[in-house]
Amino acid sequence: MRRAAWIIVMLVLAVTVALAVWAHRAGRGGEGGTIVLRVANWGGPGVDPSLMRIEREIREAFERRHGNVRVQVENIPGAGQYVPKLLMMYVAGNPPDVIMLDASSAAVFIDNDLLVDLAPLIAADASFRLDAYFPNVVDIARRGEALYAIPGDFTPMVMMYNKRLFREAGVPLPRPGWTRQEFLEAARALTVHEPGRPVPTRYGFKFENWMPGWLPWIWAAGGDVLSPDGRHAVGYLDSPQTIETIRFLVDLVRQHRVAPSLSETAAAGVDLFRDGRAAMTLTGHWSLVEYRVDQMDVGVAGIPGDGRHVTVMYEAGAAISRASPHRDLAWDYITYRSSAAVQAKMLATGVAISAHREVARSFAGTEVEDAFLAEVPYARRPWGAAVERYELVEDLGREMIEDILSGGVDVEAAARRTAALVEAELGRP
Amino acid sequence: MSAKRTHWHGYLFVAPATVYLVVFSLVPMAVAAYLSLHHWPLLGKERWFVGLANYAQALGDPFFRGAFWNTVVFAALAVPLGLVSSLAVAVLVNQRLRGVTVFRTLYYVPAVSSGVAVSMVWIWIFLPHDGLINTVLKWLGGAGDVDFLGDPSLALPALVLMSLWMGLGPRMVIFLAGLQGIPHSLYESAEIDGAGPWQRFRHITLPMLVPTTFFVLVTSTISAFQLFTQVYVMTKGGPRRATDVVVYHIYKEAWHKFAIGSASAQSYILLAVIVAISVLQFRLMRRRLREAAEQW
Repeated sequence: MRRAAWIIVMLVLAVTVALAVWAHRAGRGGEGGTIVLRVANWGGPGVDPSLMRIEREIREAFERRHGNVRVQVENIPGAGQYVPKLLMMYVAGNPPDVIMLDASSAAVFIDNDLLVDLAPLIAADASFRLDAYFPNVVDIARRGEALYAIPGDFTPMVMMYNKRLFREAGVPLPRPGWTRQEFLEAARALTVHEPGRPVPTRYGFKFENWMPGWLPWIWAAGGDVLSPDGRHAVGYLDSPQTIETIRFLVDLVRQHRVAPSLSETAAAGVDLFRDGRAAMTLTGHWSLVEYRVDQMDVGVAGIPGDGRHVTVMYEAGAAISRASPHRDLAWDYITYRSSAAVQAKMLATGVAISAHREVARSFAGTEVEDAFLAEVPYARRPWGAAVERYELVEDLGREMIEDILSGGVDVEAAARRTAALVEAELGRP
Repeated sequence: MSAKRTHWHGYLFVAPATVYLVVFSLVPMAVAAYLSLHHWPLLGKERWFVGLANYAQALGDPFFRGAFWNTVVFAALAVPLGLVSSLAVAVLVNQRLRGVTVFRTLYYVPAVSSGVAVSMVWIWIFLPHDGLINTVLKWLGGAGDVDFLGDPSLALPALVLMSLWMGLGPRMVIFLAGLQGIPHSLYESAEIDGAGPWQRFRHITLPMLVPTTFFVLVTSTISAFQLFTQVYVMTKGGPRRATDVVVYHIYKEAWHKFAIGSASAQSYILLAVIVAISVLQFRLMRRRLREAAEQW
């Protein structure tokens, strides 16, 4: 009887495995000789429906150009889930052919040799011109002579402000090259305290404990969180410029009360800036989609600094998996997706700036777009494009701000402790 | 011959579940045990045997120990409170009242709701100033400015409160099944002997529910040690690591540091602790279980 049980279990196991292998092969091959080109993206239900519709039209147009090709878009929704799930596809030996590469996590894929060097494909394709794209955006995915992604769209981080609130408060609009002191004075004037209310009903600035939101402030002060080679934090994350910048930012909350506390921001449930309860916010081009829906009158300024003009940019590029059996087709898809005509169609949604210079300029002519384009030459790639385990630096950075704001830890002590922790983590094999 | 045939069909029925268990539980557990003995970056090619070094590193890591302590505190609060509250609700909905099925359904609703969606709702409930709890506190004359998720001393108790609400339904259903299995004749005899409601509960209900309570205790303890969704959605382990629990810590080890070997070792340490606590619970309850079996 025991033998019979084993035979049954083994038979079911064998059938399960056979079905899985068959399903895997069917998925790769398509029906009737059709080639399936798998494209991973971070879309999903949260994405603007008009962008999803345009994506579908672009995909269908590509399929019409290639009679026997089906583009299978594999959306991986959920903030923080894209990289883990994509990496699991690689570990399982079943990666997509094309992946949309987020600049903030590009190093994970580039430094682990998961992507094809596109430089030879660019050299062999006379119809493709890399110089059509913003050079600093292209360089996000560059390692020496090798290039691992063709940029699609991007955004520099900027200071966005609510013009109506500035007008009502009689505060002059930010001027190009404004200083921290000017920013602080504006934030103070825009903060509204009402009698009987324990907290301001409107804040001058929406501070978030989100490292991409405070990194450009540090850069604008001449500091940084890591050494230029990305291997050390001691001497950088705890440098005088960095400490002084962190102190300036946390004092916006605890001393000047022109920014909400961490819990007020995190738990508000709504975007305080969009809700009219904060007059300024540090954000990217993507926010404009919602602000335009609300018909908000917003302006764009650079990060306040004292003589240094710099910001960070976030970008989405297209890359080819090294394991892809359809390398040429994938290249064709990437160049098609990055072409001026397709980019113009996609970026009409206003979600970002096209990395294609000609397309980006075609949207110029409005005050907001011109202000964004003015920031492009000063935009640096994020650390996540260069350092594989940068996410843990962001985790520890977030905890540092919590230590200071919720735990009352001294800024300098918190910065030194965090620098030592980051240094130890980066030094781990 | 017919008995043999019956057995044969029985194995056929359990085969899919057995295959599922082997493929998705036993094999991954064996692989994780292997990984835990190696330096194993998720993608890097340099992998080598390290013996128990990953275990030693985890046990020597103050952040991992901190996460374990948070988990123990969470379980120490959530498990007993969960047992008491769900037993109380089960007793209430076991009464012959009009519309009692509506209450049973309402109490069970959280169990069929998405953990992520429920977490989002509780973020609103815990809001400082305008959240539901603070609004009620204001009505009662309090300041109404309690920062539940932002205050390191309150964040973990806040998650306990939420977990009590989420786990109430499943535990209540199990207790309800236990309550309905107690012969009514026992209560009738006790009533004739002059026993009051509390005496009947103390000397009939509680002893007769020992096997049910034991089951709920063990499963609730295991669930408490596996807390993740609420932390991932609501606090990300903060503020100041006050809600950094073991499973969330393991998640960060694997997906932020890409250290699969040490994440596997941490998973096995968690498994060992859960098994040890379950064995301890079995031993402590063995006598009471035997007594309960004799009563039956």
